[in-house]
Amino acid sequence: MIDLQGYGPRLLEGAMVTLELALLSLVLAVILGLLTASAKLSRNRAIHAIGTLYTTLIRGVPDLVLMMLLFYGGQIGINMLTDQLYDAFDVDIFINVDAFVAGVITIGLIFGAYMGETFRGAFQSVEEGQMEAARAYGMSPWLAFRRVRFPLMMRHALPGIGNNWMVLLKTTALVSIIGLTDMVRVAAEATKATHEPFLFMLPVAGIYLIIASLSEWGFAKLSKRYSTGFGEASEWTN
Amino acid sequence: MATTPIPLEARDIKKRFGSHEVLKGLSLEAHKGDVITLIGASGSGKSTFLRCMNLLEQPDEGELIVHNEPIHFRATKHGREPADWKQVERLRAKLSMVFQNFNLWSHMTLLENVIEAPVHVLKKPRKQAIDEARALLDRVGLLERADYYPTQMSGGQQQRGAIARALAMDPEVMLFDEPTSALDPELVGDVLKVMRGLADEGRTMILVTHEIAFARDVSSQVIYLHQGVIEESGTPAEVLDNPRSERLRQFLAPKH
Repeated sequence: MIDLQGYGPRLLEGAMVTLELALLSLVLAVILGLLTASAKLSRNRAIHAIGTLYTTLIRGVPDLVLMMLLFYGGQIGINMLTDQLYDAFDVDIFINVDAFVAGVITIGLIFGAYMGETFRGAFQSVEEGQMEAARAYGMSPWLAFRRVRFPLMMRHALPGIGNNWMVLLKTTALVSIIGLTDMVRVAAEATKATHEPFLFMLPVAGIYLIIASLSEWGFAKLSKRYSTGFGEASEWTN
Repeated sequence: MATTPIPLEARDIKKRFGSHEVLKGLSLEAHKGDVITLIGASGSGKSTFLRCMNLLEQPDEGELIVHNEPIHFRATKHGREPADWKQVERLRAKLSMVFQNFNLWSHMTLLENVIEAPVHVLKKPRKQAIDEARALLDRVGLLERADYYPTQMSGGQQQRGAIARALAMDPEVMLFDEPTSALDPELVGDVLKVMRGLADEGRTMILVTHEIAFARDVSSQVIYLHQGVIEESGTPAEVLDNPRSERLRQFLAPKH
């Protein structure tokens, strides 16, 4: 086996950080994406404007810049807030912006905007008649969303979600810059100490690749599930 | 006073799309067992009138009373809308609609389509809903298709399945919006046969259709609409066999 010169366990810990960060960011991004899609399809002009502002802002500013802004800016903002609390109410608290939380929020915010576009298209792909039938049979808006729109839109949304997930997974590497010890940072440190870049970067690349391949397999399964009832994907002969 | 509730009343319904007034004050009263047929040229407002009855379209003016319960409206800056959507949802569950394009939920099997609203809206036990659904599918001749998806069935089968879905709600009134217009001619007969059976067993039905012969057979009342106004209304014998207006005569004349 390859001798990772004692960095093996730390590299694995870093891989776990990467995976946790990616999964939590995905959850946040999906929630934000659904909200954004609803906002951009809303007839309320103010809500529509907020949705548009959000996607324009996120898509127009580099991920790294956003991350720095949120990490440092967030800390400054929170400090100002706690200072005011101290002045006003004599409450003394100190909140440290955790690099992990900052990472999840930033990546979630960034990909929420992209998911928003994916979901918007998927929302609109659901035939109006399907939702009309739901309403006509007495379903509440939430029930109709859960039972009819969501399962139908997933068929169209999944390829986009899959793409976003792959990019999101790789974007997590940026958090090493704000001081989070993900596997990229561990590998970078190890490389600096040993001057053996390939020894550490190749396993890192391999782990990304493994996660990506597993995801692809998972998305293929999901995609099959949400295609039931639609043409060749359904398993009916006869 | 022990009067039986009237399943559905619409009073003076008006509806505007932009500056175009499509319904200019329409009323009807569906008593238990009535089969009311709305006929008229396309654009006469018959489908819009039907869709106002379960509030898929919001009437700008007029009253709707389902099973003696008036639907409450409130004024907003975008016009009138129901004051209590929970009430609307509850009353919609008493008015099953059958659509021109069937609108069976395409990600569910036929059986799942039929039990969906009974289980999730009426909160029936799943087991009971399945038993009832199977009986209904048997009745419309589709029991062996219970596990098929809508895309695997013909239009006629889908529409009969949609009727089973409507019946599963045990509705006060069934609303049919041009149920045979999207079907190939050879598939129309089976659907009409099922509907005739419903009329015969005393179901209260309101029906928008172009099938004049069928309307003559099953209707207790025929309403002829022209440009959002009821031009003629009465029994099939009065309206279809002895039309008073030249316009209705022309509408009923065989087109060749």
